[in-house]
Amino acid sequence: MYAKSLYSLVILAFVALFASACSHYKEQAQAAIAQAETALEAISVDAQKYLPQKYQEVEDAITAAKASLDKGDAKDALAAAKDLPAQVAALGTEVAAAKQQAIATLTDSWNSLSADLPKMVEAIQSRVDTLSKSKKLPKGLDQASFDAAKSGLDEIKGLWSAAEQSFNSGNIEDAVAKANAVQQKGTEVMGLLGMKSAPAA
Amino acid sequence: MEEKGQPPGSGTDNPYTQYYVVKKGDTLSKIAKDYYGDAQLYAQIFEANRDVLKDPNKIQVGQKLRIP
Repeated sequence: MYAKSLYSLVILAFVALFASACSHYKEQAQAAIAQAETALEAISVDAQKYLPQKYQEVEDAITAAKASLDKGDAKDALAAAKDLPAQVAALGTEVAAAKQQAIATLTDSWNSLSADLPKMVEAIQSRVDTLSKSKKLPKGLDQASFDAAKSGLDEIKGLWSAAEQSFNSGNIEDAVAKANAVQQKGTEVMGLLGMKSAPAA
Repeated sequence: MEEKGQPPGSGTDNPYTQYYVVKKGDTLSKIAKDYYGDAQLYAQIFEANRDVLKDPNKIQVGQKLRIP
């Protein structure tokens, strides 16, 4: 009788220990997942913009860890979750570097475009001003094309002004996009006027 | 009518400045007529090239002229 009770107690103790261990695994897994989710949320906008593939991989890993937890497999869940915070932290470092690189590239583009495009506008303006004084348009340029060139020049000036505004307000991405539009439109207008675009550097 | 990009040593830093290389038989009036449709606008070309032209009636074959 005594031996049987002792045996039952030992079994109960093992069950209790096992349950305690499982509970501990579950809590650790939950904590790791929560930490990873919070950290990922904090970098999600930039991560999806600059490193979308890696962002997706980390998000999938979190989803997999949560699925293990939901299935009640605390040990597997912990194995899947324990490295998540470190993965998110590493992703954050990579995202910051990628963002810095992207901004540096945009800044280079802006510096180049902002040095170049006012000269393009100046050259087009000069030609439009001279042609406006002409009693007759040259061969190869009809009135419709000249009118299109003049309205194109107005559009270019408006776009360039908007690009500068974007840059001055800190939105370099929009500034570069608008500057590229100026360059594209300027090239088109120069073509209408029979002007040759500047040779590529 | 042949427009050229910026030649080396042109004295301007605008890469969009248009140039024309003078050919035999050219006059500023003829060039103005070709580019602007109006020979009377030769003065525009002359003024843009005062650094290399002293007289609008004297241009030389091979000269690179700015076409404003």
